[in-house]
Order: sequence, then C-alpha cells, then structure tokens
Amino acid sequence: MSVLELTDVHAGYGPYKALTGVTLSVQSGDAVALLGSNGVGKSTLVRVASGLVPTSQGQVCVLGRDIRGESVHALARRGVVHLPEGVGLFGDLSIEENLLLRLRRVPAPTRRRRLAEALEALGPLGSRRRTKARLLSGGQQRLVAVTGALAAQPTLLLADEPALGLSPAAADEVYAALERVRSTDTTLIIVETRLGRVENLCDRAVVLSSGRVAYDGPTSGAQDVLTGLIQRQPE
Amino acid sequence: MSNFLSYTLQSVPWGCTFALVAVGLVLTYRATGVFNFGFGAEAYAAGVIYTELFDHGVNRVWAAVIVVCVVAPVFGAVLEAGLFSRIPVGNTTAKMVTALGVMVVLPSIVQLFPGTGNLQAPFAPFFAPVIPIFQVGSFFINGIELTTVLATMVTLLLLMALLYSKRFGLPMRAAVESPKLLELTGVNSRSVLRSSWMVATMLAGLAGVLFAPVETPVTPTNYSIILVAAIAAAAVGALRSLPLAVVGGVALGMVQGVVQGYIPQTSVWYSALVPSLPFFCLLVLLLVHPGMRTLDQSSDPMMAVEPPPPTPALAQRPPHINRLIHRFRWILAATFALIVITFSPGPWIAALTIGGAYSVIFLSITLITGLAGQLSLAQAAFAGIGAATTAQLTINQHVPALVAAVAGAIVAGGGGWVASLPALRLRGLPVTLLTLCLALLADNLLFPTSWIGGGANGLTVPRPHIFGIDFSDVDSKSFLLLVLAVVLAVSGVVHVLLRGTTGRALAAVHASPVGAASSGVAVRRLTMFVFFLSAAIAGIGGALFAMSFLQESPSDFSWFWGPTFLVIVVTVGATTVEGAIEAGFGYALIAQALTYLPSTGSSSSNAVQSAVTVLVLSFGAFTYASHPEGIVEAAKRGIATTVLRAVPANPFERVGRKNS
Repeated sequence: MSVLELTDVHAGYGPYKALTGVTLSVQSGDAVALLGSNGVGKSTLVRVASGLVPTSQGQVCVLGRDIRGESVHALARRGVVHLPEGVGLFGDLSIEENLLLRLRRVPAPTRRRRLAEALEALGPLGSRRRTKARLLSGGQQRLVAVTGALAAQPTLLLADEPALGLSPAAADEVYAALERVRSTDTTLIIVETRLGRVENLCDRAVVLSSGRVAYDGPTSGAQDVLTGLIQRQPE
Repeated sequence: MSNFLSYTLQSVPWGCTFALVAVGLVLTYRATGVFNFGFGAEAYAAGVIYTELFDHGVNRVWAAVIVVCVVAPVFGAVLEAGLFSRIPVGNTTAKMVTALGVMVVLPSIVQLFPGTGNLQAPFAPFFAPVIPIFQVGSFFINGIELTTVLATMVTLLLLMALLYSKRFGLPMRAAVESPKLLELTGVNSRSVLRSSWMVATMLAGLAGVLFAPVETPVTPTNYSIILVAAIAAAAVGALRSLPLAVVGGVALGMVQGVVQGYIPQTSVWYSALVPSLPFFCLLVLLLVHPGMRTLDQSSDPMMAVEPPPPTPALAQRPPHINRLIHRFRWILAATFALIVITFSPGPWIAALTIGGAYSVIFLSITLITGLAGQLSLAQAAFAGIGAATTAQLTINQHVPALVAAVAGAIVAGGGGWVASLPALRLRGLPVTLLTLCLALLADNLLFPTSWIGGGANGLTVPRPHIFGIDFSDVDSKSFLLLVLAVVLAVSGVVHVLLRGTTGRALAAVHASPVGAASSGVAVRRLTMFVFFLSAAIAGIGGALFAMSFLQESPSDFSWFWGPTFLVIVVTVGATTVEGAIEAGFGYALIAQALTYLPSTGSSSSNAVQSAVTVLVLSFGAFTYASHPEGIVEAAKRGIATTVLRAVPANPFERVGRKNS
C-alpha cells in the first residue's frame, strides 16, 4: 500500500519555488532517506506531505487520500507525525505536557500507559517530567520530541534533520530512538544532508537537486550521486 | 488605625475592578499571545450595549447575560477570525499595532451611533445596588461592590481551572507559542485560539458591565483609565500569573484608597499623585521586575514555514522608474502647493497649516517606529512638552517664538533621552508600555501644572515675527509657508537618516541588538540618539501645532493621542518620509472636509466628526500584518507592479548593457 504519493508537485514560499515537479511514491513500512544539500527542497517536501506548505501544482496523496483541502491537524490525526527541523517542542510546557499533547486523542487508560512508557524511554530525563522544555539542552529537547512522536504510534513519521546541531553522543541517542521505529509498521522518511547515520537505518534513498528528484534507489548508490552533485555546484 | 483600616477595606472593591481587568489582560496574553491594548475599548463597548439594552426595557440581569455570554464571545470570534488569525505568531509588532488599532477604532465606531455620548449606566446586574448588604467594622458593602468582589473571585477560580486543565488549558498555552506546531500534534489551533479570544472578550464584557455603574457616564476615557491601571496590576505577575494579577489589582486599589484618605482633597498632590500611582507602579515594575524584561522573547519554532514578507514598493521598482518618480514628485508637489496656497480659502489654509504640524509630529514616529522599530506611545506627550516649553518661554520669558520652539524641541528631546535610559534594557512590548507610562505621567503630572502646561485652560502661544513678516493672522499664508519649510527641513533630516549609515545601523539594532553590537554598532549611543531626535522632532511639531491655534491646550496632547497618532502613521506608512507627510496632511484635510457635513454644532456632533476622521485613517492598522509598510505603500507597490507589466524595460539600460 502506498503511504505517500507525490505527482509532479510544485511548492514554495511566496515568489520562491522550492519544489519544481517532484514525483515520489513511498510504500508502507519503507524507511526512506531524503538527501541533498541545503536549499534543494528537502524540508519543503516533508512540509508538503504534512500539509504545512500548500502545493501550487500537482497532487499529494497520503494514506490513499488526496490531501488537498485537508488541514494539518486532520492529517496528524490520520497518523502523519512530522518532527520539524530544530527543536519541535513547546518551550513553555513541561516534558510531560509536551508528551501529553501527542497523546491527547488516545483513550485515558492507554494514554497513561503510553505516557509512562515514554517517560521510561527517556531514562534519567523521565524523572524531570515537570521541567519546562526550554530548560533542557538541545539534545535532550530533541530526544523528548522524538520520544513524543514515537509515543503517538504514527503511520508515517517525517523526521526533518533529527540530529541537526547535536553532539555525536546526543545524535546517537536520537537515532537509537528512531531505530525502534523500524521494528514497528511505521513508514519512516528522514531528511538529512549527508548519508552518514541514515545509511544503516534506511533501505532506500531519494536525492533532491534544485527542487527535483535526482536519484531514487538503494542507499548504497546515493553517495556517488551526492558527490557528483557537490562537484557540479558552481564555485 | 481605624481610619487606615476603613480606607483600606473601602478600596477593596475598587481594587477588584483593577484585578478583574488585569486577569483579563493576563488571560488574553497567555492564551492568545497578544497584549490586548483594546481590552478597555471592548469593555467600553460592552458597557454601552449593557446600558442601551437596559434603556430599551431589558431586565439588567438579562442585559448583562446577553452582553457577557452572547455579544462578547461573538465579537471575540470576529476579532480572531478577521484580525489576529492573519498575523504570524512571531510578529509581535503586528499584534501590538492591531491591538492598538482596536483600542483607537472601536470607541470611534461606538460613538458613531447617536446617543452614546452621555450614557448613564443602570446599576450592577446582581444584588440591591446601593443599599448596604453587610457590614465589616464601620464599613458597609453595597450591591455594586459585592458584585465586583464576587465576580473577581469567581472569575479567578474559573480561569485558573481552565488554564491549567489538560483538556483546554494545555492546547491554549501551546497555541500561543506555535499554532503550526500544535497543528502537527493533531489539535485544531484555529479553534483553540478562537475559543481563547472568546473567553478573553467575555471577560472584557464582564468588566464593562460591572464597571459601567461605578463610573458614569459611560465614556471611553473612564475605561481607558482603568485599563492602564490594570496593566500595572497585571505587571505584578509579569503578565503571566493570574493570582498575582489579582493581588496586584487589590493592592493597587488599597494603596490608592489609603493615599486618597490621608491627602486632603484640595491639595495639588491629591489631583496629581492619586491618578498617577498606577503609572508609577508600572514604571517601577518595568524597571525592576525580571519577568517584565523578558516579555515577547520567545519565538515560534515554525516561523520558517511562513512565506517571506512582501518587498517594499521602492525595492521592487527598477531604478529608472524610481528616478522618474523622484523628479516628477517634486515638480508635482511644488505645483500643487503653489495652487493650493494661491487659491485656497482661509479655513483650508488653516487646515493645511495644522496638517504640516501633524506631519512633523508624525515624522518623529517614522524615525522611532519605522526606522528604530520601537512602538512609542509617548510622541504626543513629547509634542506637548515642546508646545508647553514654547508657550512658557514666549509668554513669561519673552523669548522670540522660533527660538522658544527650538528650546522646546531640546527640552522634549531631553524627555526622549530620559525615556531611552530604561529602554536600553528593554525591547518590544516593555518599551511600548514604558512610553505609555511616560505619556500618562506627562498627562497627569506635567500638563495640569500651571507653571508647565498651564493647567486645564492651557497657555497662549504667539506666532513668530521675523524679518518684518508678521505670521500672527489666523489664516496666514505666510505661516503656512513657514510650516511647510519646517516640514521640508525635518523631512530632509529623516530622509538622510533613513537612507544613510545611521538608518542601516538602526535597522541592524532593530533586527538584533547583539548582532549589531558584535558588528561594531554603538547600540547604546544610537538608541539614545534616536529617542532624543524623535522626541525633539515631536517637540517642534507640538510647538507648530500650538502656534497654529495660537493656544497650547493639554487636551491636544492627551496620552490617548499617542496611540492614535501611531496607528494613523502605521496605517499610511511608517517606513517612508512621504508616509508621515501624507498621514499628517490627510488627517487635517479629512477633518476639514468633514466640517461640510450637516452638523448640529453640539459636542456629540463634533465627537462623531472626530471619530470618522480617526476611523478613515486608522483602519489600515488592521492590515499591518500583511502590509507592514502601510496601505499607501502597499497600494504604490500594486500600481508599480501593474505599470511594470505594461511598460517595457528602460531602453537606455538595454543599450548600456549591450555596449558593455
């Protein structure tokens, strides 16, 4: 079953066009690495998939349904969880409150169980459940965001540069959390600029260049394409 | 001791009125992210509707229920859908300007309806109105007071339950930070924010109904006064804590009661100190409360998803079109000025003169808001200081009028410099509140003092007499020319600052003070300079304004004119010199044109004319989010785009390119 289907998608911000005709299909259970250098449209693509950025042309189908006219929250309720670039937490809310927001529509007994599991998965951070998110370090905040996303048990998880700006140890923790997704039915799309950590996590890579798909295939073949694109960039 | 207790207890209900409004401000700020300057205006409108419903035979309980439970929430939903939902979360300036727009426009709309000028409110909706309900020592509590106290307590408990509940409060608090991030968790952020606005306006409605019988007649001024006092109460909890806002409100009321009790009513301190107490408190809290200094410092993590703001018309046009516009603009302006000065009748000459004075005052707003990015509500007060200094020096010291005007500008500039000292430690909303405080203190302490502002009647201000030219004729064309010369000179100064290195440095400070400082910009010196210069320019404008009328009147520079002037300039265009000039002349000329409408000559008729003038020029404040450059500038951009599509590119530039 196709979880995400993009056909000739054009999208952007005001006069700036970030995507200029992207066609892509992601099947259920896939783990896809979305790669490319800065400004090629990777973040815009996942924003289009979560409904944050509207398309100016083309069709986007999520879980078999055209998302035109569908709100972001309605898509989220259908199981699309988007971890945006950066922190992705509400700084003025506590760790527990941030997790609860993800579990808001779950029945109370299940919510309590999943909250307890999420807090446990956070390790030592779980004991600081009432601490405001903005008082945590960047890595800790990212870990809480990923744990919250996993607690929601998404059908499609869109993670936009989950290790951006983190120390290697913190990035390892975040990727360890994402590894747990691979054991579930969740379809995973991870945005990264380099192959690095995603090579082991994902079985398929999509490389974007100038708002279009430049490569779509096994992760093993992506590095050559990325290197070629970097070499072709003007000085 | 018994006197002290009596004064204290008597003031609790009054303090509860402050507390109720303060709770409303805190809730609006926490649940919508907007500091609602329009809260007083909303409460005023509610008070008027409550009174009108009662006058039309509706029982006062039902009238209160209709206002609080039906009219207010519907209005809140309209405010959210029509105005605030269009503003990006991170754009705090747009939020403040829009809230100020509500503050200025809503009373003007209400006053357009006949009979709203002198409304006598019915009693409070519950309990017997003025009959003592019960006694505490020697102090009796009547129905109005009991209603206020109970309403405050019940409101506090209900709101705390609402704000800290997981079902409603959690999404409310999250929506303030980032509606888009909240959407990603599966919550409809629009409906959350709309509900927050509905609850917040219900509180404004409740405050309006409860306050109407306390201070009659029902006027916007009374509601504005209680709003600014409530800001001080809300500041006790740094606009975040509901219980502390209540404590602040009650404490403020009690302190006012005690001061009122001990100071003789005939004393000058009574009339000056008692109304100014909340403003002193707010000033102190802004300076010492760490929570007030960090307001508006959180940013939306999803801001990158928003499309970039539109480019200004000037940046969009090719250079050859700009050159053409610049050349023809001066020729057109000079021809227009010549025709107008030669053929205009007396009243229009006077209107143009006043328009020139307004233009100078408005140019000070271009400098402080358009260039430095600070929303100052004290520019009218600085204009008043300039006018008062000019009047005092010419009348009492016999200083020539022009020299006195320059001295007035320096004194006003000094006021601006003083304002800049605390502003060095603050940014955004706290600076706006600080300037509001200064305007209120000037209004309550400086202008009513006979040796400064001349008291209630003001002072006579003579016009200059230079090189044998007498400018004192009321419809004098020569004085208009003098005013136009000053407008031209001030425009030149502001233009140079806008386009020069100072302008770029100020833009850098506006974007990021830390970044500007690390690039070698002297942030402190530059901030002090821009505050000084803008206040000095406002001072010159104030002196010209007073000379136009041959009279300096404190009511011309009342604190309320500060927000009104700001909203008018922002509407037309706060980022360009021509925006301020168009706003100044537009305001005066529209007011003059409205005098031709049928009028009864009564004060209410004049109020309607004044309201229409403000309305015409202030509506654009509601489009600030999409057009931060002003609606006139936005229209220019639209015209430029259309013209550029129709007109081919400059042929000379093509030749130049080919040759090169």
